[in-house]
Amino acid sequence: MKEFAPLLHGYWYLLRGAGMTVLMAGVAVLPATLCGIVIALAQVFGNRFARGAVVAYLFVIRGIPLLVLLTFVYYLLPLTGIDLPPFWGVVLVLAFYYAAFMSEVFRAGILSLPRAQWDAARSLGMTRQLMMRIVIFPQALRLAAPPFVSLCVSLVKATSLVSIVGLWELTMASREIVERTLAPFQIFIGAACVYFCICYTLALYGKYLERRALVGH
Amino acid sequence: MLEIAGVSKRFGTLEVLRDVSLSVRSGEVVVVIGPSGSGKTTLLRCINMLEDYEQGTVVVDGEPVGYRFESTTGRRQRMSERDIAASREKIGIVFQSYNLFPHMTALQNIVAAPVRVRGIPRARAEARARELLAMVGLSDKASEYPVRLSGGQQQRVAIARALAMDPKIMLFDEVTSALDPELVGEVLAAIQQLARDGMTMIVVTHEMSFARDVADRIVFMDGGAIAEQGEPDQVFFAPRSERVRLFLKRYNDRYRI
Repeated sequence: MKEFAPLLHGYWYLLRGAGMTVLMAGVAVLPATLCGIVIALAQVFGNRFARGAVVAYLFVIRGIPLLVLLTFVYYLLPLTGIDLPPFWGVVLVLAFYYAAFMSEVFRAGILSLPRAQWDAARSLGMTRQLMMRIVIFPQALRLAAPPFVSLCVSLVKATSLVSIVGLWELTMASREIVERTLAPFQIFIGAACVYFCICYTLALYGKYLERRALVGH
Repeated sequence: MLEIAGVSKRFGTLEVLRDVSLSVRSGEVVVVIGPSGSGKTTLLRCINMLEDYEQGTVVVDGEPVGYRFESTTGRRQRMSERDIAASREKIGIVFQSYNLFPHMTALQNIVAAPVRVRGIPRARAEARARELLAMVGLSDKASEYPVRLSGGQQQRVAIARALAMDPKIMLFDEVTSALDPELVGEVLAAIQQLARDGMTMIVVTHEMSFARDVADRIVFMDGGAIAEQGEPDQVFFAPRSERVRLFLKRYNDRYRI
């Protein structure tokens, strides 16, 4: 057990790192979700140009690894004159990246509703906006909730990549302790446990949403 | 009450409706029968503009639905989405697959449109909804979600939901075709009650004995056109056209009218 001394000494530092991880992910999730919804609607209802722009954006995001995108923005953005604090820079990249996948999840939710629901809503005299608000969205979001939570879990884990560009969060904190103590095994087991706790909690929430999604089906 | 004039529609190269014209008087019950693919469902969907159609107009209670004739050019013009949505309020439609909103209770399904589309105060809408549920015999199911209701019960809620908007005409699209036989009776009873109360209706059905009981007029459609129409006894027992005779013979071989 004395092999785990480094972990026992450093766990509080790791937990602070975890706090930063959760903060980063939490701040990125909101714009990612909102953009995801807007992009999904643009693809379903938008005109040719909107749809073309969205498809181009999706192709780019799916073709580039997040790490490359992060590095690209981190090193090249200052050259364009935009002065952004590093934290906000990576949060924006994360949001921009994950909005693409979230939009696909929301789009699938909307499109998987049977045509009959649209027919019924229209037949009752509902306008498109009203129909979306009270018939389509509630059902589509319920359908999209489980894969959406999976994406959130993925986003939490993706924050570990920002350590490569020098930002501080759980993975960076782990690496700092390992450099001091030369005990990578113990420290990274600790980090893995912390990541696991965060992600498992989210996944449990996802399971709960999945059960709720089945109300009325 | 309802005037369908020269409606034609094609899906690609397939002509689904050929120059269909039909007049329905206020309080009249018209039952449409015919083989699959004859255009019966498409006709209903065109009436309340769930489908666009290339030619013709539909007028309900004096107001056009979907397309109107421009007085200046004399040409047919598609109404705005807003106007179409408003004109749909006069037409109630019940579908073969009930189409209830699964995330709302029976009561919420019925009040959703009156409250959100018409702006009727919720209390008044709920009172009326309970009246309608009582009329279709489902007073005790107001707080149930559709998933807990049988097919026949869901269909009756669907009827109540359509009636909540006080339509001038009700369309029924093979509403019992997806039901177990023992549930069919309760839905037909509800429709019969509506007919007795004087609602103008167009009913598409395969239930021939029901058609004979409830119809003021039978319309036989085949290949996208109306092949014959007339009083039930005349169409069923003394049809003029050979196609009707063939259709009824096939039907009579299996069932009895």
